[in-house]
Amino acid sequence: MDALLSSLANLEFYLALAAVLGVAWGIVGGALPGISPSITMALLLPFTYALEPSMAIVLLASTYVGAEYGGSIPAILIRTPGTNAAAAAVIDGYEMNRQGKAGLALGISLYSGVIGSLIGLLALVLLSEPLAKLALAFTPPAYFALGILGLSVIVSLSGESLVKGLIAALLGLMISTIGTDPVSGISRFTFGFSDLLSGIQPILIMVGLFAMSELLKQASTQDEVRVKTAPRIQFPDNALKKRLILPQSIGALFGGFEGVMPGAGGTIASFMSYNEAKRWSKSKHEFGKGSPEGIAAPETANNTVAETSLIPLLSFGIPGSNSTAILLGGFLIHGLIPGPMLFSRSGEIVGDLYAGLLIAAIALLFIGITIMPACIWLVNRPRPYLNAFILALIMSGIYSINNSLFELSVVLVAGIIGYFMRLLKFPFLPTVLGLVLGFMIESNFRRSLLLSGDELSIFVSDRISLVLLSVAGLFIIGSLAKRLLQTLIGNSEKQLPSSAES
Amino acid sequence: MNPRQAVRPIDRTPNRSEYQASIMISRLRRAAISVLFLVILSFSTYAQNYPVETITILTHSRPGGGSDVFLRELSRYLTPKLGANIIVKNVTGGSGAAAIAELSRAKPDGSKFYATTPTFIYTSLLSQPAYTYKDVEPLVNLFFDPELIYTAADSSFQSLEDVLDKARSSRGLWGAANPGSLERQSLEQLKLATGLNAAVISHEGGGDLMINVLNRTLDIGVGEAQELQSQLAAGRLRVLATFSDARLSQFPNIPTVHELGYEVIVRKFRGIAAPKGLTTDLIIQWEQAIQTVLENPEYKASYLADSLLLNYINHSEYQGFIDEFASETEDYLRTVGIIE
Repeated sequence: MDALLSSLANLEFYLALAAVLGVAWGIVGGALPGISPSITMALLLPFTYALEPSMAIVLLASTYVGAEYGGSIPAILIRTPGTNAAAAAVIDGYEMNRQGKAGLALGISLYSGVIGSLIGLLALVLLSEPLAKLALAFTPPAYFALGILGLSVIVSLSGESLVKGLIAALLGLMISTIGTDPVSGISRFTFGFSDLLSGIQPILIMVGLFAMSELLKQASTQDEVRVKTAPRIQFPDNALKKRLILPQSIGALFGGFEGVMPGAGGTIASFMSYNEAKRWSKSKHEFGKGSPEGIAAPETANNTVAETSLIPLLSFGIPGSNSTAILLGGFLIHGLIPGPMLFSRSGEIVGDLYAGLLIAAIALLFIGITIMPACIWLVNRPRPYLNAFILALIMSGIYSINNSLFELSVVLVAGIIGYFMRLLKFPFLPTVLGLVLGFMIESNFRRSLLLSGDELSIFVSDRISLVLLSVAGLFIIGSLAKRLLQTLIGNSEKQLPSSAES
Repeated sequence: MNPRQAVRPIDRTPNRSEYQASIMISRLRRAAISVLFLVILSFSTYAQNYPVETITILTHSRPGGGSDVFLRELSRYLTPKLGANIIVKNVTGGSGAAAIAELSRAKPDGSKFYATTPTFIYTSLLSQPAYTYKDVEPLVNLFFDPELIYTAADSSFQSLEDVLDKARSSRGLWGAANPGSLERQSLEQLKLATGLNAAVISHEGGGDLMINVLNRTLDIGVGEAQELQSQLAAGRLRVLATFSDARLSQFPNIPTVHELGYEVIVRKFRGIAAPKGLTTDLIIQWEQAIQTVLENPEYKASYLADSLLLNYINHSEYQGFIDEFASETEDYLRTVGIIE
């Protein structure tokens, strides 16, 4: 806290400038489908060589903050998550957009993003030490259990048919086994393509499933009468703000914890908080049909993650995600080595980073408001133009990552699969979850068994694993019981919205 | 003067030194030819005559990764020596396969190079891509990255022998960063050399591994000195041994695995490769430029701080080194069943 305050007191103009520029660049990068936060940061990295260390670090960290928010813009407006973590905001965000409430959806997402950033920053400044201890306590069995807990959400995200949800999840899990085997190093299901060696990036499948299939569907149906959105961002009023407190707290809590855990990342946090926000909500039936809470929870979560994921980086020098790995690069370029000695050796840099992040959170609000009318104007163009634009945007975005035609074909194939999944009313979210969590679950399961010498008891003897698995078990049994009850009573009122929707 | 020099980056020193060199040349022109004179003359001619304006060095490492940082630092010193601008390009696809393919297809006109690490051998062997390490020409080697065996500072292991004793009495838990990595190979080789019962557990990168050593899930991990620096300074990790062929200057008290009686030496190389068919002129130009840069005191300080071990190998020997490394790796991959 002292470091933050003294940096704020002597704040130099260039630091504030770096924070503002970083956020602006981050929003743009995050909003472009396929350009992940880490790529947005990586594009900037070469330019930081010439900068002062503090300025370089603040620029990169602010880019991360901006990008985590930016991902929700295309999620809401064109049903394409700009980042992995924004996938959960697609559900209710796009639904609100269809109801002509895009301005409000964007407002909620921005408002929640800023709140998430501020809470995350507070946790980073005040709770670094205890949270770092927690990260250290996570062993392979605990990570396995965390992944299973994440998967347990499928039961409630599956919509009308649990079987379809499970099939969709299996599809995701199967795709996640492509690539190099995490333990033995053997190539699996690569069929001799070197492009498949490092597996299929979840974002490619997500863009295909959500966006491509939407374009295909719109091309195949008559023009629906669209509700035009007023080209203005709209912030929640006081009643709505009050209603959002609970989902935002849930989001901040999950984001705060998961950011700390290397490898877990923002995607689990945003899905888990979406699910929990639904469970604890007074208006569950709105979820999936354009619930403001369904945007607030995941968007708070992924912006909290952007801040707390700095904890393992700063305290151990261990990057927990691709984005923090780029940030680590930014430190190393300037001869700074994050880790236990950073605070004592280069405390002023840490202080500057905190101050920069605070400015970034505020800048997020203003830049978000400024650029939004242009975005809304864009999506209000006539359908044919808009769809052509979206197609070009997706294709060029994906192609620009690695200049790879292969990745473009992955997106196309995923789009076709997504189109048929929609026709057959399979939900997408279980596929996305399976895809994102499959690798983590498999690698940590096998690592645990190697540790224990093939004794399954390691999952019970590890305390964190035991707790997480029990919670997952309760979730699954609880949700199943509820489903069963509804079937028995013959509840005609469909309480479980389909995430695949029409 | 070459007009290109007007757009050179910030570093002014080269212009000055070349200017001084040219003054010296005019003064010495009538004097007897000395060895020194020849060296300066040949160097300055080469520096003036690099055939292209821009050199692109590819790396499979992402921005901020090991090879990326190494290349960007090197290019700062190499640019004035070669007299051409150097651009570092990250071609991250397919664990190096994309970068190797791009290099193989490039013209050998001195405009495109690639930063070699064992990854390029591994990818070639593991995935049988269309282009492999055999389709490019190893140019020179600069460094070896020493690999260290480390444990948590609060663990009971005080020496490598303690770790091996545990593996003798019960079961060793040894961690490597990635499944297809030199670190894993070094541990598997140690396991073969000792004939002990140990699980070699691979992770998703050095950070993931370090957490499991710090929380004492694992007995030991293997990593590069640079990754461990911060934790070592904070007294949270202890280095037990190094896989290098001699003791390291920063860790004079740490024995090598080899001197402890186990025949395992690991050479994680860092060098430069070119497309096949590079002219002798260009090869000599690069060899000289690299050697000069390696002697630059400023650069020396920088690579010593990164714990890199100077290990210059010239063009004529580098091909042999790479071939030997590749065949050793292939043998190992076959032994543990990763490839058939």
